[in-house]
Amino acid sequence: MENLELKIGWLYPNLMSTYGDRGNVICIQRRCQWRNLSVSIIALDQQSQVSSFQEVDLIAGGGAQDRQQEIVMRDLLGAKAEALRAKLDQGTPGVFTCGSPQLLGHYYEPAFGQRIEGLGLLDLVSKHPGVDSKRCIGNMVFEITASPLAEDLKASTGETPRIIGFENHGGRTYLGTVSPLGKVIQGYGNNGEDGTEGAFYRRAIATYSHGPLLPKNPFLADWLIQKALEQKYQIPISLTKLDDSLAHQARQALLQKLNLTNRAKTA
Amino acid sequence: MQLFSQIRLSLAVTVAKTVTAIVQGLGLGSASVLPGEIARRLYPRLLPLLFAQVKQGVILVVGTNGKTTTSLLLRTLLEDRGYRVVHNETGANLINGLVTTFLDQVNLWGQLQADYAILEVDENILSLVLKDSVPRVIVGLNLFRDQLDRYGEVDTISSRWQEAIKPLPKTTTVILNADDPTLSYLGKNLSQKVLFFGLNEADLYLDEIPHAVDSIYCPSCGSSLEYQGVYLSHLGDYSCPSCGFSKAQTAFDSKDWPQILIGVYNKYNTLAAALVAQEIGINKSDVFTTIGNFKAAFGRAEELNINGKKVRILLSKNPVGMNETIRAVKDIRKQEKSSTTLLVLNDRIPDGTDVSWIWDVDTEQLSSLGGTLIVAGDRVYDLALRLAYSTENNQVNPCELLVYEDLKAALEIALEKTSADETLHILPTYSAMLEVRQILTGRKIL
Repeated sequence: MENLELKIGWLYPNLMSTYGDRGNVICIQRRCQWRNLSVSIIALDQQSQVSSFQEVDLIAGGGAQDRQQEIVMRDLLGAKAEALRAKLDQGTPGVFTCGSPQLLGHYYEPAFGQRIEGLGLLDLVSKHPGVDSKRCIGNMVFEITASPLAEDLKASTGETPRIIGFENHGGRTYLGTVSPLGKVIQGYGNNGEDGTEGAFYRRAIATYSHGPLLPKNPFLADWLIQKALEQKYQIPISLTKLDDSLAHQARQALLQKLNLTNRAKTA
Repeated sequence: MQLFSQIRLSLAVTVAKTVTAIVQGLGLGSASVLPGEIARRLYPRLLPLLFAQVKQGVILVVGTNGKTTTSLLLRTLLEDRGYRVVHNETGANLINGLVTTFLDQVNLWGQLQADYAILEVDENILSLVLKDSVPRVIVGLNLFRDQLDRYGEVDTISSRWQEAIKPLPKTTTVILNADDPTLSYLGKNLSQKVLFFGLNEADLYLDEIPHAVDSIYCPSCGSSLEYQGVYLSHLGDYSCPSCGFSKAQTAFDSKDWPQILIGVYNKYNTLAAALVAQEIGINKSDVFTTIGNFKAAFGRAEELNINGKKVRILLSKNPVGMNETIRAVKDIRKQEKSSTTLLVLNDRIPDGTDVSWIWDVDTEQLSSLGGTLIVAGDRVYDLALRLAYSTENNQVNPCELLVYEDLKAALEIALEKTSADETLHILPTYSAMLEVRQILTGRKIL
């Protein structure tokens, strides 16, 4: 394990990081460090060359305010977008939370101003229903259903993979042919209508859930690390177990607060 | 006042005062919001009528951080000069809270005996207040990301402020923080008299821009701003290489001014209040005297003595606030003995129900100091997790981390761990701060 190295590409850290999204990057970084794996974080932003987009092993992106999202898209369009698309197509794992899934879809229509074109990588569209409509806000719980992620997680944890988090989005996302990441148990999810949450494509996880996502769902962080290393070195990887008792207690506390503990047990 | 208005005002006041008496009489609470709501339903134009009665004018204080401390300093400045001041000191800063504050001070005819009113106003209702009321001064302290689960985004708020201030008459003075690019830009686009406060002390620059930063893009053209240095979050000395937009000229040289309490954030609060004082004609030496004698508002760098041990409570309710309180603890620990810090995270409505913001705080700065960190609160495990992830090596943690679901138990152990010559620092969110104070002092304050 000592010789392995993971490069995390962090999309526009200064523009796309609301609601503690950097917690996902910290989580991946620390879980590598705690296992004595070399890890580095590479900012993928306006100052980066296209080559930086090509050299990373795992990609993380967070939420942005509408104006920031526009600046990102303007910089990304072209060669950088192509590099990102190629990476994800090849199976490089990615975790995209809050606003960044909107960016991967066909377009996002903000409350004010012009439609923001997305990368079109995921077959989904997002729309803001207007400044006076309710934001989707609150603690959320969903079950991962996307294949083969759900099966992988079930095998590694022995449980039905249940994600806990917090959502806060004005925009609503509607999926086309892309597979949903999971089904909502508590909260709004993609649009508050069809019970789906997030999207899953190749090894890219897209979700409205922050909290941040990974520290309280550490099995997901480990899946990303494992797949990133397997993709990079083309060998099977088995990660050493870490003490996740605090995460477990944080999960229990939230499930209890939402009266979901019984269902968690029977699941 | 017309007779009809007078009757309606009087009716609204009578009803509101009766409600206050009932609520307080039955021990249901301090009635800081409900009477205002009822009175306003009876007479929607209540607020402008009340504003008009304040002899020297109303001072509105808006901004994400520092409203309470700035208002308290301002109020002390005015009261020390013998003025009668109305102030929404309970922190009820939505419309009904403002109305209730006035109603507590008027007689049954709705008449008010006040020279000044200082109103802390929630950043999202400024537009609503300004729709039909004219203040003497508006103070804009800063705009940070705070409780976004309740509202929207920083950009949206500042453009709403601009729209709301634009139609005000020239008699209103606007006092803004020049170090906040969003507010500097706002000030440059107003036709009213605008005065700026800010720092010009390069020795206070941070080593790097903290991650919790909201706005480092030029509010005028959208390019990246260049910072000569950063004092706190996105507050600093900056200019735009693309369109030439830069920090506005400040009215004072901050180096000439003493400050209240501790921390860079309280320098800003001091300068803001001092600039208002100058604008309404209080002389500088009097301002210096008041600054020298100032005592903290509850929970804001407030010091308590508990069984002979010094306890300092530093309200920490958002990433910027908490980065600054951690910085203050770090600075203090160079001079004072202090090894134990208690952090309390709640997720109730006044705290914001989304606790993910703790991941935008540079808690690494705290855990690297060593000593004992004790965590408690509704979301104790979320906070514990954040602190656990603050260390690179999970085998040799630089500090002891203790986790308590029960706040009382956490406070007991925190005091026990603090020896007689040490200071215990407590960093709570808003509702947690009230709970901590109640346990420590045995008194309810709200």
